[in-house]
Amino acid sequence: MSKLFTKQELRRINLRHMFGLQLGHNYERMQGLGYFYAILPALKKIYKDDPEALDRACRAHIQFYNTTPQMSEIIIGMNVAIEEEEGIAALETATSLKTALMGPFAGVGDVIFGVIAGTIFGAIAGNMAIAGSTVGMGIWVAWNVAVLFLRTKLFDLGYAQGAKLITTMKDQLAYVTNGASILGLIVVGALIPSVIKLKIPYTFQSGEVSLSVQENLDKIMPFLPQVILVLICYRLSKVKGMTAGKLIFIVMIGAIVLSALKVVG
Amino acid sequence: MIHPWQIALITLYAFIQPNETRSFNIGMSMPILAGWFTGLLLGNPQTGLVLGGTLQLMTLGVNTYGGTSIPNTTVGAIVGTALSLNSTPELALGIAIPVALLMIQLDILARYANIFFLHRADHFIDERNYDKAAFQNLLGMIAPGLSRAVPVFFVLCFGQSFVEAVMGWIPQWFMTGLQVAGGVIPVVGICILLNYLPTRSKLPFLILGFLLAAYVKIPLIGVAGFGLVITLLDYMYTRQADQRWAANQEGSDLDE
Repeated sequence: MSKLFTKQELRRINLRHMFGLQLGHNYERMQGLGYFYAILPALKKIYKDDPEALDRACRAHIQFYNTTPQMSEIIIGMNVAIEEEEGIAALETATSLKTALMGPFAGVGDVIFGVIAGTIFGAIAGNMAIAGSTVGMGIWVAWNVAVLFLRTKLFDLGYAQGAKLITTMKDQLAYVTNGASILGLIVVGALIPSVIKLKIPYTFQSGEVSLSVQENLDKIMPFLPQVILVLICYRLSKVKGMTAGKLIFIVMIGAIVLSALKVVG
Repeated sequence: MIHPWQIALITLYAFIQPNETRSFNIGMSMPILAGWFTGLLLGNPQTGLVLGGTLQLMTLGVNTYGGTSIPNTTVGAIVGTALSLNSTPELALGIAIPVALLMIQLDILARYANIFFLHRADHFIDERNYDKAAFQNLLGMIAPGLSRAVPVFFVLCFGQSFVEAVMGWIPQWFMTGLQVAGGVIPVVGICILLNYLPTRSKLPFLILGFLLAAYVKIPLIGVAGFGLVITLLDYMYTRQADQRWAANQEGSDLDE
């Protein structure tokens, strides 16, 4: 069977997906509108002789959808391949594939493209910027450009393999998730002493003798205040209804009060 | 005094940024770039760069997982840089943090606004006007763009005199407190990352990273390098173990 789409047409869908997946992001169906926007040219070509089928497909692809945009390239690539090959009969397969994959893909994708990339490149760029250099920022931009190229490859992978990919990827995905979380934890562990700035300038005075709290803490373990702070905040972050915004607010107020009391500095 | 053309360019940046971030995402959302760009236009890129870097470190790991709204350090960097060009980094931070927190509400509003375009798209699909339905997705750029551009525009127009008035009565202990807070807040991003990763089941790796940085004093890039090697080693060994286990399974099947 000859392929329906030319290379240019596939790339166009790929680009529409990169550009538009999240532009119409909303609380009701999240990336649903964007997914429909991206895949529309493909649907129009696949179902050009069958307006009823086109109608059904359009309604199906504007439903709820949400995953890591980079990983979504694989999903939309597969989706196009499946419907191209089997037509409207495969619509249900395609939509259930989307629903089944978006969760696990987001699990892996958020860790790789959000946690690890954002943390490593963000820490490098932030540290260099504070020292007055824009180089770190440039490194991050370069990574982002590289990710765009990767996204074209992921789309091609999904399209070329179609539904077959699921079986071959299932085991691989577990390895990738495992590896990504190990790397993530090691980097986050290193962030604790290198990014959090906290000292205890408080000194006990009794007659002639003064005792610096920080110096004694350092004898036990370097960066002990940081470690204690992380433990407290980790507990707080487990409280029900806690958000990043609230936690930042709590930490900020705490820091201002304790600094006014000259306990921390 | 900020000139009208400077206000126009910075407001334009604020409008484009959320849309660039949600599409190709080259990096306009970085507070470093936003601060640096603002500073460059207003004649003091260093202020913007340092403020942007501080905000970046404060929000490491605070990412929009699953489309949640987060403190908007990008707008924080723009506003903080613009209003504190010739004063102290503490003041810049003192402006940027509240602004970043307030902006969360506007982002939520913008995402609600886009439900309107989703329903219009549904409506056009009913009419079988598919191109118009798809076009609604592009209109989704308006609300997030405005939610950043409008506050930035007003702050740039009227903020200067306001900040100068407020500056007079902010006590020194509060400014010092803000600086301390700036150093401590990265803990929030770290805790969010810890919640996101399998911290309990893989705790030794977290401790290893801490020890490498705290005792061996390896810089972050180096730790990431070590981390990569350990990750690859773990991959090799678990794969080997899995294969051996699979081979054993087959072997025992044959025995039966």
